[in-house]
Amino acid sequence: MLRYLLKRILIFIPTLFVISLLVFGLNRLAPGDPIQTCLPITDDPNLERTEAAYARVAHQYGYDLPVFYFSFTAAAYPDTLHRILNRDERETVTKLTGQFGNWPLVQDYYREVRQINRQIYYLPDSLDRNGIIDFRRISELLRVLYQPDRIDFQFKTLEDVLNRFPDLNQHLADDLQRLSGSFTLLKRGKRTDLLYRPAFYWHGRQNQYHRWASRFVRGDFGTSCLSGRKVADLLRVPLYWTGIMNILALVITFVVSIFLGTRMAVRRNGWFDRLSGLLLFIFYSLPTFWIGTMLIIFFTTPEYGMKWFASVGLGNLPTGAPFWDRFWEAANHLILPVFCLTYGGLAFVSRQMRGGMLDVLQRDYIRTARAKGLDERKVVWKHAFRNAVFPMITMVALILPAVIAGSVIIEMIFSIPGMGRNLFEAIIRKDWNVVYTIVMLAAILTMIGNLVADMLYVLADPRVTFANRSRQ
Amino acid sequence: MSETATNTAKNTDQSYWQQVRRRYRKSRLAVLAMRFLAVLIFVAVFADFLANEKPIYCKIDGESYFPIFREYAVDLGLAGWPPALRDNQWNDTTRCSVKILALIPYSANTPDYANTYKGPFAEQKVKSRRYRHWLGTGNLGIDVAAGMIRGTRVALLVGIISMGIATLIGLFLGALAGFFGDNGFKISRIRLWLNLLGLPFAVFYAFVPRWYYLLEGAQLGWEWLRALGTFALIMALLNALAYVLRSWEPLSRKVTIPLDLLIMRLIETRNAIPGLILLLAFLAIIQKPSILNVMLIIGLISWTGIARFVRGELLRIRQLEYIEAMRALGLSNWRILVRHALPNALTPVLITISFGIAGAVLAEAGLSFLSIGLPPEEISWGKLLAGSRSNISAWWLATFPGFGIFITVTVFNLIGETLSEALNPRATE
Repeated sequence: MLRYLLKRILIFIPTLFVISLLVFGLNRLAPGDPIQTCLPITDDPNLERTEAAYARVAHQYGYDLPVFYFSFTAAAYPDTLHRILNRDERETVTKLTGQFGNWPLVQDYYREVRQINRQIYYLPDSLDRNGIIDFRRISELLRVLYQPDRIDFQFKTLEDVLNRFPDLNQHLADDLQRLSGSFTLLKRGKRTDLLYRPAFYWHGRQNQYHRWASRFVRGDFGTSCLSGRKVADLLRVPLYWTGIMNILALVITFVVSIFLGTRMAVRRNGWFDRLSGLLLFIFYSLPTFWIGTMLIIFFTTPEYGMKWFASVGLGNLPTGAPFWDRFWEAANHLILPVFCLTYGGLAFVSRQMRGGMLDVLQRDYIRTARAKGLDERKVVWKHAFRNAVFPMITMVALILPAVIAGSVIIEMIFSIPGMGRNLFEAIIRKDWNVVYTIVMLAAILTMIGNLVADMLYVLADPRVTFANRSRQ
Repeated sequence: MSETATNTAKNTDQSYWQQVRRRYRKSRLAVLAMRFLAVLIFVAVFADFLANEKPIYCKIDGESYFPIFREYAVDLGLAGWPPALRDNQWNDTTRCSVKILALIPYSANTPDYANTYKGPFAEQKVKSRRYRHWLGTGNLGIDVAAGMIRGTRVALLVGIISMGIATLIGLFLGALAGFFGDNGFKISRIRLWLNLLGLPFAVFYAFVPRWYYLLEGAQLGWEWLRALGTFALIMALLNALAYVLRSWEPLSRKVTIPLDLLIMRLIETRNAIPGLILLLAFLAIIQKPSILNVMLIIGLISWTGIARFVRGELLRIRQLEYIEAMRALGLSNWRILVRHALPNALTPVLITISFGIAGAVLAEAGLSFLSIGLPPEEISWGKLLAGSRSNISAWWLATFPGFGIFITVTVFNLIGETLSEALNPRATE
């Protein structure tokens, strides 16, 4: 038993590793600058202060580290690419290198781009504002341009601007000259051969993944970028609500289905069996988000004269309110969402129960029990029920991921501040530490659910051994 | 499966498929589901002719035009718009002296600013009954009936294509895992090493030097073809090399690869993250939302069910006597798998596919409901349904699209359900 448990837990490790890579990779795939999301919104005109704040935030969240333990790229790219913090800049430089292959010249050109952008900030105030604005708009555009023809075109536009504003020309002509010169050099100095030479860089343990993963293992989930709070604190309340909803839904699903399934099996093919079979089938196909929306529209608004339930959200009683008030308030708000989470699983679980019960009712020992004149109720509930109910244990594990995922949409519809809603918002707003934490927790929970179900299964049925269970 | 089939076929002089058909037809509901499916497919295929702001036929100045057909030609780049039809505001078809309108004279995104959020029974400001919005209108006055028709196409397209992708992956991996098991897949040591070492380099030379052109180049298709060609070429060369080097004894020693274990681990890893969360995470971050991405990602996520199913079938089939007979005849593993074992596992996969389509339709609707995945101009049932959330009094926006999703999901679930009974007559006895 212990050995089996250990083996299963050991198997968890590679699975979790792959999942963590996948989740972590999402950050890389997502567009947008993750550092920008973490920055407090300011309109500080001071360039140096803004850049310093940017670097500080990048350092705080570890974005100034290499992404992974190693990188395998072309020799044209340097191993220090991660030091360019700004994502737009990094991508532009990478794309330039992808075309020309000559990193030093790309660096030279990009330094000039930065230089000219910086130059604009320190121009004397006596100059024509319009000229500066025109010039800056284009030179800022150059920071993200990487198509040679477009860059050349923007150089021409910049020259036009300078021709129109002679006093600006005095200050910026040389810079523009150097800039376009460096780009011409870059175009001449193509080193596409370097793009074909593989390079392997080892970054060691000082990398973003290691930093995040090692902290995660130690239970430190990091800080949420948007709210500045610890993720663990941030998710405490959502976890509570999602937990309450899902546990309630699971318990109701199982209690109802077990009794329903048993009754259906006992009167097999009777009217009750057929009717509930049909109803359950319909329930199974009813999309929860549809039913949820319909329930909200018809039963929580006075529009159609059937305002029987509280509207979406969780109500706004203060935390100091008496317990029972808060309890009824929460209950009133939770009835509809829990119903939505419950009905879909009913069909699935009660059908399994019906099947299991039918199987048991055909066994010899049931016939014996009946033959010795036992009351039918006793036969069903005392002899058959116990044996039919235990395979249902594994169903908990099967249904758990569906419930976790299902509560995302339900929480969105009913505006319940749970894990699902938090996840959705974190994904949309790129609050990566929150995304990582919730997805990893969902994965771990699913795997533990599977494991527990397997263990219970073996404990409940002595005929099943760990050896033949693990081979399935 | 094949066993039962041949046995019963002998008994009753009926072919396997005739039998399945007969058993399937026993369920009246399932037959009804098939008819519904036919209707849905009809609506999806002819969606452009059922709901379109352009008329099917229009006569201007004695000249006959077929604007909808013309639009297909223009979209394919085969023709341009004739001068008479250019810049034609189709909400006003008075220029046509003779015209045949589509059944619903609105496209899914035709705005009708005079009638926003008008119910099916409300008074509508329309020219005639012909232009009435029979199922009401939504935001900006878009016609719900037209949206329903367009949505049918989107739902079926996503359901069928994404399940097609999932089936390909699932069949491949499931067949490998089930047929070879943990001990059946043996390759020479040199081949294993060359493949493992060569893979990163093949990926490197195929994609890294030209990645800029793969993402941004002018001829994307050609670049991708070249990249994949390079990859295939390098891998083929390495395997050819392995074939040559195999003659040296120490290199030719066989290594067993536990395919079943590897593939089952992969399935377990995929299943550990709830599918909807994975979908959300991937689709929410994609820069350019498109229906193709939705299909692709749903497909890439939902193959595990099919893989498990095929694996189970093949685990059973590979122990049957006829496979052993093939082995005795000296047929290669791959030939047995593809020609003799896999075909017998295919029919039951239909059941999983049917349920899978229902799941994919549901997933797409759920995503669109959260306004994720589809581009803003595309209309789908989920999106229409989401529209009802901003206007609670518009009950028609919630009822009709939801009913569309429900019917489609039920149809596929029912077909799957009845198929599984029709294909496994013993299980239901």
